[in-house]
Amino acid sequence: MGTPKPFFLWRHLNKLRWLSLSIVFAMLVALPFMHVYQTFTAAHAYDLLAPSEKQLYDVMETLTAVFTEDPAEDLDAIKGNTWSGSFFGLQLSDPLAVAGQMAAGLKVYAPFLLTALIPVLFTLLLGRFFCGWICPATLLYELNTNVSTWLSRLGFKVGNRHFDRRLKYAVLGVGLLLSAATGSVLMAAIYPPAIVGRELYYAFALGGFGAGTLFFVGTLLFDTLVARRGFCRYVCPGGALYSLLGRYRLVRIRRIAESCNDCAKCNAVCEFGLDPLRDHFGQECNNCTACIAVCPTQAMTFVLRPTDIPEQGPGHLGKQYLRAHSEKGSIDAAP
Amino acid sequence: MQRRTFLDALLGAAAATALSPLLAEARPGVPTRQPTRSIRYLRPPGARPEEEFLAHCIHCGQCGEICPNRCIQYFGHENGLRSLDTPYIVPREQACILCMKCGEVCPTDAIQPVARELAPILGKVRMGRARIDERLCLSYQGKTCGVCYRACPLQDVAIRVGRLEQPRVLKDCVGCGLCERSCIQIPQAIRIIPDYG
Repeated sequence: MGTPKPFFLWRHLNKLRWLSLSIVFAMLVALPFMHVYQTFTAAHAYDLLAPSEKQLYDVMETLTAVFTEDPAEDLDAIKGNTWSGSFFGLQLSDPLAVAGQMAAGLKVYAPFLLTALIPVLFTLLLGRFFCGWICPATLLYELNTNVSTWLSRLGFKVGNRHFDRRLKYAVLGVGLLLSAATGSVLMAAIYPPAIVGRELYYAFALGGFGAGTLFFVGTLLFDTLVARRGFCRYVCPGGALYSLLGRYRLVRIRRIAESCNDCAKCNAVCEFGLDPLRDHFGQECNNCTACIAVCPTQAMTFVLRPTDIPEQGPGHLGKQYLRAHSEKGSIDAAP
Repeated sequence: MQRRTFLDALLGAAAATALSPLLAEARPGVPTRQPTRSIRYLRPPGARPEEEFLAHCIHCGQCGEICPNRCIQYFGHENGLRSLDTPYIVPREQACILCMKCGEVCPTDAIQPVARELAPILGKVRMGRARIDERLCLSYQGKTCGVCYRACPLQDVAIRVGRLEQPRVLKDCVGCGLCERSCIQIPQAIRIIPDYG
């Protein structure tokens, strides 16, 4: 066969992606506990702790002892969440945080602008990869999709409505305008990764979930009952910004039409409701590689180019079918 | 979580989804809404004046996460939607120890970095100023106390005691709230009057 084969590891990237999502989420769970542990050590308060707090202290001490000599100071190295965080002196922020802050303050604060530089560069290269590989809400949303699938197998009616995908760009625009009008970064209140990071901290370090959790649960219900992965597809302002930045991303997924058998599993698995089968990835593909992993004929691979390749028509089985039938003259030899 | 807080959270979420009240809130510049606050809270040390602070803060929560004294809490909807998830301190519950880590970690300069030395702290930190209620203060009732003075990290700069340990607040008080935290009277005889700039 002369058809190109994708590099064999691409199929396994999806597992790596789940690992990445899990690590990010696990860190967001661990950080509040680490902070509480830090405050205990800073106060030299072991003898005064309640039994449950002593337990927490012991567990965190065991987990962190390898990395730190002075936990009260050393654990300051990793703080924050994916919305904005500091990592061994390197400050990183979500581009949406920077855009929202610039709108709210109506001026540019350069040091903060620079914290989004690395995420923006990666987005220019890899597109909306944050949504698939890092976003702590994605982990929960994808698990929620799986739960919805099980529910629908049990006969539960799961929502599968479609809206206009451009809605989220409007949310982004209106959000920025409202931030400018009120002088406050309002987008932080409806942006799931920011909510998840914050609420995990509230829950574990401050003793209770806040209002954001209710909003987040609402989005999960929306995803289950109205539209699969609906919030990310139609509402998320951060996803909109990442999509715009990643419009001319260099790393893309492409279909190898010669290997494709038109089974449409790629379309079924695509969380963002894109159309890989007809080569329509567009700016909203997050390179999550689920379609590469699911493809039974290894017809999905990566390509380096700033735009999608134009529609290639049906795969080899579809072409055979068309050929056979067009010879008999029963159907038109469409593309 | 108590039912009350849960209900508050529920209302907050409902309010957040109905974005209408946002439009009613005017842009900074005219200080009209300041005196209507019902909650007495402090912003972390080095925070910009209130309106500027809100325009800078991205609600990331790093200030609270680095605070070694766990004194930084976060607003729900109780102080308005613009303050949602912004940091505040209630000194009677847990006061600021002026470690200045929050300013260091703040990515947007909403809390400005201040060196942990006397001069920069006196120059840049304006959380509020302590005020003594002489009718409540034990020392003013003839029972020598002086706890607030001993709790103050800026002794003789921010607070001084005279006869019978009677405290007097000086003009350099930055409003960290350790005096209010430590006051043995209930209700406290010394309070921080916040300065929102």
